[in-house]
Amino acid sequence: MSTKPSLPELRPNRYDALVVLVVLALAAALAVRPFLAARAPQSGALTVVVSADGQELDRLPLAQFGTHTYTNNGYTLTVTAADGAVSVTESDCPGQDCVHSGAVSHAGQSIVCLPARIVVELVGVADGYDLVAG
Amino acid sequence: MAKRILTAVLTAALALSLAACGGGEQQEAGITRTVYTMDTVMNLTAYGENAAAALDAAEETLCALDAKLDRHDEASTVSALNRDGTVEDAELAQLTDIARTIGELSGGAFDPTVAPVMDAWDFTGDAPRVPSDEELSALLAHVGLENLSVDGNTVTLSDGAQLDLGGIAKGHAGDAVRTVLAELGVASAVIDLGGDVGLLGAKPDGSDWRVAVKDPADPSKFLGVLTAADTFVVTSGIYERGFEENGVRYHHIIDPKTGKPAESGLVSVTVVCGDGAWADALSTACFVLGEEGSLALRDTLAAEKNLHIELIFVTDDGHVRYTAGLAKRFEPSEEGAYVYEAIIA
Repeated sequence: MSTKPSLPELRPNRYDALVVLVVLALAAALAVRPFLAARAPQSGALTVVVSADGQELDRLPLAQFGTHTYTNNGYTLTVTAADGAVSVTESDCPGQDCVHSGAVSHAGQSIVCLPARIVVELVGVADGYDLVAG
Repeated sequence: MAKRILTAVLTAALALSLAACGGGEQQEAGITRTVYTMDTVMNLTAYGENAAAALDAAEETLCALDAKLDRHDEASTVSALNRDGTVEDAELAQLTDIARTIGELSGGAFDPTVAPVMDAWDFTGDAPRVPSDEELSALLAHVGLENLSVDGNTVTLSDGAQLDLGGIAKGHAGDAVRTVLAELGVASAVIDLGGDVGLLGAKPDGSDWRVAVKDPADPSKFLGVLTAADTFVVTSGIYERGFEENGVRYHHIIDPKTGKPAESGLVSVTVVCGDGAWADALSTACFVLGEEGSLALRDTLAAEKNLHIELIFVTDDGHVRYTAGLAKRFEPSEEGAYVYEAIIA
Protein backbone atom coordinates (compact mmCIF):
# COMPACT_ATOMS: atom_id res chain seq x y z
CA MET A 1 0.00 0.00 0.00
CA SER A 2 1.47 3.31 -1.02
CA THR A 3 0.63 6.89 -0.09
CA LYS A 4 0.52 9.60 -2.68
CA PRO A 5 1.61 13.16 -1.86
CA SER A 6 -1.30 15.67 -1.63
CA LEU A 7 -2.17 17.34 -4.88
CA PRO A 8 -1.64 21.13 -4.79
CA GLU A 9 -5.42 21.90 -5.41
CA LEU A 10 -6.45 19.79 -2.36
CA ARG A 11 -4.21 21.57 0.11
CA PRO A 12 -5.97 24.17 2.35
CA ASN A 13 -5.47 27.72 1.15
CA ARG A 14 -6.92 31.14 2.04
CA TYR A 15 -10.28 30.42 0.32
CA ASP A 16 -10.75 27.37 2.54
CA ALA A 17 -10.00 29.53 5.57
CA LEU A 18 -12.68 31.99 4.38
CA VAL A 19 -15.27 29.18 4.12
CA VAL A 20 -14.37 27.99 7.63
CA LEU A 21 -14.76 31.52 8.98
CA VAL A 22 -18.18 31.94 7.31
CA VAL A 23 -19.39 28.63 8.79
CA LEU A 24 -18.10 29.53 12.26
CA ALA A 25 -19.69 33.00 12.12
CA LEU A 26 -23.09 31.55 11.09
CA ALA A 27 -22.89 28.88 13.80
CA ALA A 28 -22.08 31.49 16.45
CA ALA A 29 -24.95 33.74 15.33
CA LEU A 30 -27.43 30.82 15.45
CA ALA A 31 -26.22 29.78 18.91
CA VAL A 32 -26.49 33.26 20.40
CA ARG A 33 -29.82 34.27 18.81
CA PRO A 34 -32.16 32.41 21.23
CA PHE A 35 -30.36 33.85 24.27
CA LEU A 36 -30.64 37.38 22.90
CA ALA A 37 -34.36 36.86 22.21
CA ALA A 38 -34.98 35.49 25.71
CA ARG A 39 -33.23 38.44 27.32
CA ALA A 40 -35.16 41.04 25.33
CA PRO A 41 -37.26 43.27 27.62
CA GLN A 42 -40.97 42.28 27.58
CA SER A 43 -42.42 45.72 28.12
CA GLY A 44 -41.36 46.68 24.65
CA ALA A 45 -43.18 43.66 23.21
CA LEU A 46 -46.67 44.57 24.45
CA THR A 47 -49.04 45.74 21.74
CA VAL A 48 -52.58 47.10 22.10
CA VAL A 49 -55.00 45.54 19.62
CA VAL A 50 -58.49 47.04 19.37
CA SER A 51 -61.21 45.17 17.48
CA ALA A 52 -64.88 45.83 16.80
CA ASP A 53 -67.17 43.02 15.65
CA GLY A 54 -64.05 40.90 15.19
CA GLN A 55 -62.46 43.40 12.79
CA GLU A 56 -59.12 44.85 13.87
CA LEU A 57 -59.25 48.64 14.13
CA ASP A 58 -55.88 49.46 15.65
CA ARG A 59 -52.62 47.68 16.48
CA LEU A 60 -50.17 49.95 18.25
CA PRO A 61 -47.28 49.53 20.69
CA LEU A 62 -48.51 50.11 24.27
CA ALA A 63 -45.94 52.82 24.87
CA GLN A 64 -47.15 54.78 21.84
CA PHE A 65 -50.89 54.20 22.18
CA GLY A 66 -51.93 57.35 24.09
CA THR A 67 -55.70 57.91 23.94
CA HIS A 68 -58.10 56.77 21.22
CA THR A 69 -61.87 56.93 20.84
CA TYR A 70 -63.87 54.18 19.14
CA THR A 71 -67.55 54.08 18.20
CA ASN A 72 -69.35 50.86 17.31
CA ASN A 73 -72.88 49.51 17.62
CA GLY A 74 -74.12 52.88 18.85
CA TYR A 75 -71.68 53.26 21.77
CA THR A 76 -68.46 55.23 22.14
CA LEU A 77 -65.44 54.16 24.21
CA THR A 78 -62.33 56.11 25.16
CA VAL A 79 -59.29 53.85 25.50
CA THR A 80 -56.22 55.19 27.28
CA ALA A 81 -52.73 53.78 27.82
CA ALA A 82 -50.69 55.04 30.74
CA ASP A 83 -48.00 53.71 33.09
CA GLY A 84 -47.58 50.45 31.19
CA ALA A 85 -51.28 49.58 31.19
CA VAL A 86 -54.36 50.19 29.05
CA SER A 87 -57.94 50.82 30.18
CA VAL A 88 -61.35 51.96 28.99
CA THR A 89 -61.55 55.32 30.72
CA GLU A 90 -64.96 56.39 29.40
CA SER A 91 -67.93 54.65 27.85
CA ASP A 92 -71.56 55.51 27.27
CA CYS A 93 -72.60 51.84 27.43
CA PRO A 94 -75.28 51.02 30.05
CA GLY A 95 -73.44 48.54 32.30
CA GLN A 96 -70.04 50.26 32.36
CA ASP A 97 -68.48 46.79 32.77
CA CYS A 98 -65.63 47.79 30.45
CA VAL A 99 -64.79 50.80 32.61
CA HIS A 100 -65.07 48.74 35.81
CA SER A 101 -62.66 46.18 34.31
CA GLY A 102 -59.83 48.55 35.24
CA ALA A 103 -56.45 48.64 33.54
CA VAL A 104 -54.74 45.59 32.05
CA SER A 105 -50.98 45.34 31.84
CA HIS A 106 -50.14 41.71 31.01
CA ALA A 107 -49.98 39.89 27.68
CA GLY A 108 -53.17 37.93 27.01
CA GLN A 109 -55.40 40.20 29.09
CA SER A 110 -58.32 41.94 27.45
CA ILE A 111 -61.20 44.29 28.16
CA VAL A 112 -64.53 43.53 26.49
CA CYS A 113 -67.43 45.92 25.97
CA LEU A 114 -70.27 43.67 24.88
CA PRO A 115 -72.81 46.42 24.09
CA ALA A 116 -70.27 48.11 21.80
CA ARG A 117 -68.84 44.75 20.65
CA ILE A 118 -65.35 46.20 21.13
CA VAL A 119 -62.37 44.21 22.47
CA VAL A 120 -59.17 45.84 23.74
CA GLU A 121 -56.42 43.23 24.00
CA LEU A 122 -52.78 43.26 25.06
CA VAL A 123 -50.64 41.07 22.81
CA GLY A 124 -47.07 40.09 23.55
CA VAL A 125 -44.81 37.59 25.23
CA ALA A 126 -46.45 36.20 28.39
CA ASP A 127 -44.19 35.77 31.40
CA GLY A 128 -44.72 32.36 33.00
CA TYR A 129 -48.21 31.57 31.67
CA ASP A 130 -49.88 30.55 28.42
CA LEU A 131 -53.37 32.02 28.80
CA VAL A 132 -55.59 34.02 31.11
CA ALA A 133 -58.81 32.75 32.73
CA GLY A 134 -61.44 34.39 34.88
CA MET B 1 -11.95 28.02 -8.07
CA ALA B 2 -15.47 27.09 -9.24
CA LYS B 3 -15.44 24.14 -6.83
CA ARG B 4 -14.58 26.46 -3.95
CA ILE B 5 -17.43 28.86 -4.80
CA LEU B 6 -19.78 25.87 -5.00
CA THR B 7 -18.53 24.72 -1.59
CA ALA B 8 -19.21 28.16 -0.09
CA VAL B 9 -22.74 28.24 -1.56
CA LEU B 10 -23.52 24.74 -0.26
CA THR B 11 -22.18 25.69 3.17
CA ALA B 12 -24.40 28.76 3.29
CA ALA B 13 -27.41 26.64 2.25
CA LEU B 14 -26.62 24.17 5.06
CA ALA B 15 -26.38 27.01 7.58
CA LEU B 16 -29.73 28.46 6.45
CA SER B 17 -31.43 25.08 6.72
CA LEU B 18 -30.03 24.74 10.27
CA ALA B 19 -31.47 28.15 11.06
CA ALA B 20 -34.89 26.96 9.84
CA CYS B 21 -34.60 23.92 12.13
CA GLY B 22 -33.86 26.22 15.06
CA GLY B 23 -37.15 28.05 14.43
CA GLY B 24 -39.03 24.77 14.63
CA GLU B 25 -38.02 24.35 18.25
CA GLN B 26 -40.16 27.32 19.23
CA GLN B 27 -43.79 26.92 20.32
CA GLU B 28 -45.93 25.95 17.36
CA ALA B 29 -48.23 28.83 16.42
CA GLY B 30 -51.94 28.14 16.74
CA ILE B 31 -54.79 29.55 14.71
CA THR B 32 -57.24 31.74 16.65
CA ARG B 33 -60.87 32.30 15.71
CA THR B 34 -62.99 35.00 17.41
CA VAL B 35 -66.72 34.32 17.63
CA TYR B 36 -69.36 36.69 19.04
CA THR B 37 -72.03 34.40 20.39
CA MET B 38 -73.93 33.50 23.55
CA ASP B 39 -73.72 37.09 24.71
CA THR B 40 -69.93 37.00 24.94
CA VAL B 41 -66.74 36.97 22.88
CA MET B 42 -65.19 33.55 22.40
CA ASN B 43 -61.64 32.92 21.21
CA LEU B 44 -60.83 29.44 19.95
CA THR B 45 -57.16 28.61 19.40
CA ALA B 46 -56.30 25.28 17.80
CA TYR B 47 -52.94 23.74 16.93
CA GLY B 48 -51.93 21.30 14.23
CA GLU B 49 -52.43 20.92 10.51
CA ASN B 50 -56.20 20.37 10.76
CA ALA B 51 -56.77 23.45 12.91
CA ALA B 52 -58.37 25.73 10.31
CA ALA B 53 -60.98 23.21 9.11
CA ALA B 54 -61.72 22.13 12.67
CA LEU B 55 -62.27 25.74 13.75
CA ASP B 56 -64.74 26.22 10.90
CA ALA B 57 -66.73 23.28 12.22
CA ALA B 58 -66.44 24.52 15.80
CA GLU B 59 -67.79 27.93 14.84
CA GLU B 60 -70.75 26.29 13.10
CA THR B 61 -71.39 24.25 16.25
CA LEU B 62 -71.38 27.38 18.41
CA CYS B 63 -73.78 29.22 16.13
CA ALA B 64 -76.13 26.22 16.02
CA LEU B 65 -76.12 25.95 19.82
CA ASP B 66 -76.76 29.66 20.24
CA ALA B 67 -79.69 29.43 17.81
CA LYS B 68 -81.13 26.56 19.86
CA LEU B 69 -80.49 27.79 23.40
CA ASP B 70 -80.86 31.59 23.25
CA ARG B 71 -84.10 32.36 25.04
CA HIS B 72 -84.07 35.92 23.64
CA ASP B 73 -84.25 34.53 20.09
CA GLU B 74 -87.89 33.87 19.26
CA ALA B 75 -86.89 31.15 16.81
CA SER B 76 -84.88 29.15 19.37
CA THR B 77 -85.95 25.83 20.84
CA VAL B 78 -85.82 27.29 24.35
CA SER B 79 -88.14 30.12 23.27
CA ALA B 80 -90.54 27.54 21.88
CA LEU B 81 -90.46 25.76 25.24
CA ASN B 82 -91.06 28.98 27.17
CA ARG B 83 -93.93 29.87 24.83
CA ASP B 84 -95.61 26.47 24.51
CA GLY B 85 -94.71 24.91 27.87
CA THR B 86 -93.29 21.75 26.31
CA VAL B 87 -90.83 20.81 23.60
CA GLU B 88 -89.14 17.67 22.32
CA ASP B 89 -85.41 17.89 21.62
CA ALA B 90 -82.81 15.32 22.67
CA GLU B 91 -79.92 17.74 23.23
CA LEU B 92 -82.05 20.28 25.08
CA ALA B 93 -83.52 17.53 27.26
CA GLN B 94 -80.07 16.19 28.12
CA LEU B 95 -78.70 19.63 29.02
CA THR B 96 -81.82 20.58 30.98
CA ASP B 97 -81.55 17.32 32.90
CA ILE B 98 -77.96 18.19 33.90
CA ALA B 99 -79.09 21.69 34.92
CA ARG B 100 -81.91 20.27 36.98
CA THR B 101 -79.60 17.70 38.61
CA ILE B 102 -77.07 20.39 39.60
CA GLY B 103 -79.98 22.45 40.91
CA GLU B 104 -81.14 19.58 43.11
CA LEU B 105 -77.64 18.66 44.33
CA SER B 106 -76.95 22.30 45.24
CA GLY B 107 -80.23 22.71 47.10
CA GLY B 108 -81.49 25.22 44.54
CA ALA B 109 -78.38 27.43 44.56
CA PHE B 110 -78.36 26.90 40.79
CA ASP B 111 -81.80 27.21 39.23
CA PRO B 112 -82.42 27.36 35.47
CA THR B 113 -85.95 28.71 36.05
CA VAL B 114 -84.73 32.00 37.52
CA ALA B 115 -85.16 33.74 34.14
CA PRO B 116 -88.06 36.09 35.11
CA VAL B 117 -86.01 37.45 37.99
CA MET B 118 -82.98 37.99 35.74
CA ASP B 119 -85.24 39.81 33.28
CA ALA B 120 -86.41 42.16 36.02
CA TRP B 121 -82.82 43.10 36.88
CA ASP B 122 -81.96 43.34 33.14
CA PHE B 123 -78.22 43.07 33.76
CA THR B 124 -77.37 42.76 30.07
CA GLY B 125 -79.88 45.28 28.77
CA ASP B 126 -79.79 48.99 28.18
CA ALA B 127 -81.65 49.85 31.38
CA PRO B 128 -80.61 47.63 34.31
CA ARG B 129 -82.53 48.41 37.52
CA VAL B 130 -83.17 47.23 41.07
CA PRO B 131 -86.62 45.55 41.25
CA SER B 132 -88.79 46.19 44.31
CA ASP B 133 -89.21 43.49 46.96
CA GLU B 134 -92.89 43.11 45.96
CA GLU B 135 -91.95 42.60 42.32
CA LEU B 136 -89.30 40.03 43.22
CA SER B 137 -91.69 38.19 45.51
CA ALA B 138 -94.28 37.91 42.73
CA LEU B 139 -91.66 36.67 40.25
CA LEU B 140 -90.13 34.14 42.65
CA ALA B 141 -93.52 32.44 42.89
CA HIS B 142 -92.84 31.02 39.41
CA VAL B 143 -89.22 30.04 40.12
CA GLY B 144 -88.38 26.53 41.28
CA LEU B 145 -87.04 23.20 40.07
CA GLU B 146 -90.42 21.60 40.78
CA ASN B 147 -91.74 23.54 37.75
CA LEU B 148 -89.29 21.83 35.39
CA SER B 149 -89.44 18.22 34.28
CA VAL B 150 -87.57 16.09 31.78
CA ASP B 151 -89.03 12.87 30.44
CA GLY B 152 -86.94 11.21 27.75
CA ASN B 153 -86.43 13.85 25.06
CA THR B 154 -89.33 16.00 26.28
CA VAL B 155 -88.89 19.06 28.50
CA THR B 156 -91.96 20.48 30.22
CA LEU B 157 -92.50 23.66 32.22
CA SER B 158 -95.39 24.30 34.62
CA ASP B 159 -96.82 27.13 36.74
CA GLY B 160 -95.65 29.85 34.35
CA ALA B 161 -91.97 28.95 34.76
CA GLN B 162 -89.43 29.98 32.12
CA LEU B 163 -86.21 28.13 31.25
CA ASP B 164 -82.91 30.01 31.06
CA LEU B 165 -79.83 27.89 30.34
CA GLY B 166 -77.50 30.90 30.40
CA GLY B 167 -75.75 29.49 33.45
CA ILE B 168 -74.77 26.26 31.75
CA ALA B 169 -74.96 26.87 27.98
CA LYS B 170 -71.43 28.27 27.56
CA GLY B 171 -69.92 25.29 29.36
CA HIS B 172 -71.98 22.93 27.22
CA ALA B 173 -70.76 24.82 24.15
CA GLY B 174 -67.21 24.29 25.39
CA ASP B 175 -67.85 20.55 25.64
CA ALA B 176 -69.30 20.52 22.12
CA VAL B 177 -66.40 22.51 20.65
CA ARG B 178 -63.87 20.28 22.37
CA THR B 179 -65.57 17.20 20.92
CA VAL B 180 -65.71 18.66 17.39
CA LEU B 181 -62.07 19.74 17.44
CA ALA B 182 -60.93 16.34 18.72
CA GLU B 183 -63.01 14.47 16.13
CA LEU B 184 -61.40 16.53 13.37
CA GLY B 185 -57.88 15.65 14.45
CA VAL B 186 -56.96 18.54 16.76
CA ALA B 187 -55.07 17.29 19.81
CA SER B 188 -54.29 20.63 21.39
CA ALA B 189 -56.58 23.67 21.75
CA VAL B 190 -57.67 26.48 24.05
CA ILE B 191 -61.40 27.22 24.08
CA ASP B 192 -61.85 30.65 25.69
CA LEU B 193 -65.55 31.15 26.34
CA GLY B 194 -65.33 34.79 27.39
CA GLY B 195 -62.96 34.17 30.29
CA ASP B 196 -64.07 30.64 31.10
CA VAL B 197 -61.57 28.29 29.54
CA GLY B 198 -61.69 24.78 28.13
CA LEU B 199 -58.44 22.97 27.41
CA LEU B 200 -58.23 20.22 24.82
CA GLY B 201 -55.25 18.03 25.60
CA ALA B 202 -51.91 19.49 26.63
CA LYS B 203 -49.78 22.09 24.86
CA PRO B 204 -48.37 21.09 21.46
CA ASP B 205 -45.01 20.36 23.11
CA GLY B 206 -46.73 17.90 25.47
CA SER B 207 -46.42 19.98 28.64
CA ASP B 208 -49.42 21.19 30.66
CA TRP B 209 -50.97 24.61 30.05
CA ARG B 210 -50.15 27.36 32.51
CA VAL B 211 -53.37 29.26 33.17
CA ALA B 212 -53.15 32.67 34.87
CA VAL B 213 -56.29 33.21 36.99
CA LYS B 214 -57.52 36.81 37.29
CA ASP B 215 -57.61 38.62 40.60
CA PRO B 216 -61.30 39.54 41.11
CA ALA B 217 -60.36 42.68 43.05
CA ASP B 218 -58.12 43.88 40.24
CA PRO B 219 -58.56 41.92 37.01
CA SER B 220 -55.36 43.46 35.68
CA LYS B 221 -53.53 41.25 38.19
CA PHE B 222 -53.44 37.51 38.72
CA LEU B 223 -54.36 35.36 41.73
CA GLY B 224 -51.87 32.79 40.61
CA VAL B 225 -51.05 30.32 37.88
CA LEU B 226 -52.78 26.98 37.54
CA THR B 227 -51.11 24.09 35.74
CA ALA B 228 -53.72 22.04 33.88
CA ALA B 229 -54.54 19.98 30.80
CA ASP B 230 -57.71 18.57 29.23
CA THR B 231 -60.09 20.27 31.64
CA PHE B 232 -62.25 23.36 32.18
CA VAL B 233 -61.43 26.34 34.37
CA VAL B 234 -64.58 28.39 35.05
CA THR B 235 -64.88 31.40 37.36
CA SER B 236 -67.94 33.18 38.74
CA GLY B 237 -67.15 36.52 40.27
CA ILE B 238 -68.78 39.79 41.13
CA TYR B 239 -66.50 41.77 38.80
CA GLU B 240 -67.92 40.27 35.64
CA ARG B 241 -71.19 42.09 35.15
CA GLY B 242 -73.28 44.50 37.12
CA PHE B 243 -74.42 48.09 37.40
CA GLU B 244 -74.56 50.95 39.86
CA GLU B 245 -77.68 52.59 41.25
CA ASN B 246 -77.66 55.29 43.94
CA GLY B 247 -73.99 54.61 44.58
CA VAL B 248 -74.45 50.87 45.16
CA ARG B 249 -72.99 48.30 42.74
CA TYR B 250 -75.16 45.27 42.06
CA HIS B 251 -73.46 42.16 40.66
CA HIS B 252 -75.19 39.69 38.39
CA ILE B 253 -75.05 36.39 40.32
CA ILE B 254 -78.57 36.03 41.68
CA ASP B 255 -79.48 33.83 44.64
CA PRO B 256 -82.61 32.02 43.38
CA LYS B 257 -84.05 31.99 46.89
CA THR B 258 -83.98 35.77 47.42
CA GLY B 259 -83.98 37.02 43.85
CA LYS B 260 -81.13 39.37 44.80
CA PRO B 261 -77.36 39.33 44.20
CA ALA B 262 -75.86 36.51 46.28
CA GLU B 263 -74.06 37.46 49.46
CA SER B 264 -72.06 34.40 50.48
CA GLY B 265 -68.80 35.92 51.63
CA LEU B 266 -67.16 35.20 48.28
CA VAL B 267 -65.77 37.61 45.74
CA SER B 268 -65.15 34.83 43.24
CA VAL B 269 -64.93 31.07 42.94
CA THR B 270 -63.05 29.13 40.28
CA VAL B 271 -64.09 25.58 39.41
CA VAL B 272 -61.68 23.12 37.79
CA CYS B 273 -63.66 20.24 36.30
CA GLY B 274 -63.29 17.91 33.34
CA ASP B 275 -66.82 18.63 32.06
CA GLY B 276 -67.66 22.09 30.75
CA ALA B 277 -71.41 22.12 31.42
CA TRP B 278 -70.93 20.94 34.99
CA ALA B 279 -68.06 23.39 35.56
CA ASP B 280 -70.17 26.29 34.29
CA ALA B 281 -73.26 25.57 36.40
CA LEU B 282 -71.22 24.59 39.46
CA SER B 283 -69.36 27.91 39.43
CA THR B 284 -72.68 29.72 39.88
CA ALA B 285 -73.92 27.22 42.47
CA CYS B 286 -70.68 27.46 44.47
CA PHE B 287 -70.71 31.25 44.41
CA VAL B 288 -74.25 31.28 45.82
CA LEU B 289 -73.48 28.54 48.38
CA GLY B 290 -70.27 30.09 49.71
CA GLU B 291 -67.19 28.20 50.82
CA GLU B 292 -68.66 25.76 53.33
CA GLY B 293 -71.64 24.82 51.16
CA SER B 294 -69.39 24.41 48.12
CA LEU B 295 -67.08 22.00 49.91
CA ALA B 296 -70.10 19.94 50.98
CA LEU B 297 -71.34 19.95 47.38
CA ARG B 298 -67.87 18.86 46.23
CA ASP B 299 -68.07 15.85 48.56
CA THR B 300 -71.58 15.03 47.31
CA LEU B 301 -70.47 15.16 43.67
CA ALA B 302 -67.57 12.81 44.38
CA ALA B 303 -69.76 10.37 46.30
CA GLU B 304 -72.90 10.37 44.16
CA LYS B 305 -71.67 11.25 40.66
CA ASN B 306 -68.01 10.19 40.79
CA LEU B 307 -67.30 13.74 39.62
CA HIS B 308 -64.17 15.29 41.09
CA ILE B 309 -63.79 19.04 41.10
CA GLU B 310 -61.23 21.43 42.54
CA LEU B 311 -62.06 24.92 43.79
CA ILE B 312 -60.33 28.26 44.37
CA PHE B 313 -62.24 30.63 46.65
CA VAL B 314 -61.53 34.34 47.02
CA THR B 315 -63.27 35.59 50.14
CA ASP B 316 -64.39 39.11 50.93
CA ASP B 317 -61.96 39.21 53.87
CA GLY B 318 -58.90 38.86 51.66
CA HIS B 319 -58.22 35.12 51.70
CA VAL B 320 -57.57 32.76 48.79
CA ARG B 321 -58.35 29.18 49.73
CA TYR B 322 -57.96 26.26 47.33
CA THR B 323 -58.77 22.59 47.62
CA ALA B 324 -56.01 20.09 48.33
CA GLY B 325 -56.02 18.70 44.80
CA LEU B 326 -54.56 22.00 43.59
CA ALA B 327 -51.78 22.15 46.19
CA LYS B 328 -49.17 21.14 43.62
CA ARG B 329 -50.88 22.73 40.62
CA PHE B 330 -51.65 26.26 41.82
CA GLU B 331 -48.83 28.76 42.27
CA PRO B 332 -49.98 31.82 44.25
CA SER B 333 -49.07 35.14 42.72
CA GLU B 334 -46.83 37.62 44.45
CA GLU B 335 -48.86 40.48 42.94
CA GLY B 336 -51.97 40.33 45.14
CA ALA B 337 -52.37 41.17 48.81
CA TYR B 338 -54.10 37.92 49.79
CA VAL B 339 -53.49 35.29 52.43
CA TYR B 340 -53.19 31.96 50.60
CA GLU B 341 -54.25 28.68 52.23
CA ALA B 342 -54.68 25.15 50.92
CA ILE B 343 -57.84 23.51 52.26
CA ILE B 344 -57.12 20.08 53.70
CA ALA B 345 -60.44 18.28 53.51
